[in-house]
Amino acid sequence: MARYGMVMNVHACLGCRACMAACSEWNQTPFWAEDFKGKWRTRVTEIEEGKFPEVKRYFFPTICMHCENPPCHSVCPTEATYINKDGIVLIDYDLCLGCGYCIEACPYDARYEYELDDLKQDEFYFGEDARHHQAHVDKCTFCVDRLAEGIEPSCAATCVGHARIFGDLDDPKSEIAQLVSTGKAKPLGEYMGAKPKVYYIK
Amino acid sequence: MDLVQQHIWGWNIATYLFFGGLGGATMALGILGEMRFKLGKWFGILTSLLGLAILSFGLIWLVIDLIDPLRFLLAFWVAGIGHSWIARGMVIINGAYIFGVLYAIAAFLEKETFKKWMGYLAMFCGFGVTTYTGLLLNANVGIPFWHTPALPLLFTISAFSTGCALLMLILAAMKSHEAKHYFHFIEGFDIFLISAELLTIFAYFDFARLGNAAVMKSAHMLLANPLFTIGFVVLGLISPLILEAYASVKESAKGVALVASIMVLIGGYLLRYLIVWAGVFQYPHGLAG
Repeated sequence: MARYGMVMNVHACLGCRACMAACSEWNQTPFWAEDFKGKWRTRVTEIEEGKFPEVKRYFFPTICMHCENPPCHSVCPTEATYINKDGIVLIDYDLCLGCGYCIEACPYDARYEYELDDLKQDEFYFGEDARHHQAHVDKCTFCVDRLAEGIEPSCAATCVGHARIFGDLDDPKSEIAQLVSTGKAKPLGEYMGAKPKVYYIK
Repeated sequence: MDLVQQHIWGWNIATYLFFGGLGGATMALGILGEMRFKLGKWFGILTSLLGLAILSFGLIWLVIDLIDPLRFLLAFWVAGIGHSWIARGMVIINGAYIFGVLYAIAAFLEKETFKKWMGYLAMFCGFGVTTYTGLLLNANVGIPFWHTPALPLLFTISAFSTGCALLMLILAAMKSHEAKHYFHFIEGFDIFLISAELLTIFAYFDFARLGNAAVMKSAHMLLANPLFTIGFVVLGLISPLILEAYASVKESAKGVALVASIMVLIGGYLLRYLIVWAGVFQYPHGLAG
C-alpha cells in the first residue's frame, strides 16, 4: 500500500508538452477533439505575468490532484468514482452514469466527458486496442496500469526537464516525500479542503 | 485566481431543476389541499398525479443531458447515497412516485387511514424533491456562488412559490366554497413566499458584494443580464407580489392573481436557468487551461 502523489516543478517545465502527447497516446484520450476542447488528462498552460519590462512567462503543468478528500467522489451517485488502496482516485467506467456532477464538483478542472463520438474516434485510431468502450467521465489515473507493471506514469516518464516527480509520499526516502516534507512543494487551493496529493514548486 | 464560467450544465439541467421543484411542490400542496382543506378525493388524486407528471417531464431533460442517455438506468444504482445528492435525490424521487401513486389509489378506493399515511409520506417526498435540487448545486465546492447555504433555501422557496402559482390556476377553475377558501390560503402563502424569496435574493447579493472574486463575478453577470434584473426580479418577483397583494384584498380581482401566477412560473424558470448559467469556477491560478 502506497500513497502516490506528484510534485510539479514549474521552474523545470520547458513547455514542450511531450507529457500531454505521451498521456493521450497511452491513455487514448481525445487528442482528435476539434480545437482540443480541453479533453486532456494533463495539460500544460502557458502563463504570462507582469507588465513590460517586468514580464515573466512560464509553463504550468496540471493533472488530477488525486485528493484525499475528493469532492468528485463526494458527489458521485453510483460510487463510480472511488479511491484505490494506493490513494489514487479512479473511475469505474461500467458504473459511470455520465451525469457530469463530478466535473462540476472538481475544483481543479481535472475531468472531462468522453463522449460517444470519442468512442468512435478511439476505435478508428486504435482498432482492436481501443480501451474506451462506453461513454464516461474521464480523468488521470496516474497510469495505474503502468504502476502495476512497476513503470512510472507516462507523463512523468517522458518529461525531459524532470518537472514531474512521481512517487510514494509515505516513503521518507523518496524524492517527492522530501520535497513535500521540507515545504518546498505545496498543494494548490488548500483552502478548498480537498487535500490534494499533487504539489507545486513555484 | 482564474475565474471560468461553468459550461457543463445548461438549459437541460435548469429545465429539470424547475420542473422537479414545481412537480414536488404541486404534489405536496395538492395533497395538503385535499387533506386539510377538504377539496375532495379527485382534487387530491389529480394534483398528486399532475405533480408526478411534471416531475417526469423534468426527468426527461435530466436523462437527455447524460453523456449517453441510454445509460440512465445506472441512476438507480444509488451506492453513493451516503454522500451524493443525486443518489439521495433519486431515492426521494422514487419515494415521491411510490407514495404519490399509493396515495392516489388509496384516495380513489377511499381507504382513509392508508390514504392519510401515504399522503403524509408523499408530501414529505414532494418537499424533499423541492429541497434536494438546491443542495445538489450547493455541493460544488469549486463554484462559490452555488456553494452557499442560501441556495437550497432559495430553490425551496421558489419551488413552493411556483407550486402555489400552478395550484392557483387550477383552483381558479373550480367553483366550490372549499376551492375558494384554499385559493385565498395559497394566495397568501405565495405572497409570503415571494417576500421571503426577495429577502433571500437581497441577502444573496449583499453577501456577493463582500464575497470572493468568483461570487462577485457571478453576481455581476446576473446584474448585467436583463433576463435576471427585468425578467426575474421585476417581472417574476416584484410585479406578481404587487398583483397578488392587490388581488388578495379585491374580491373581484381573480384574473389579476392568475396573471401573477403565470409571471411567477416564468420567473421560477428564469431563476433556475440564470443561477446555473452564472456558476463560475474559482480555479487556483494556472489551472484553467
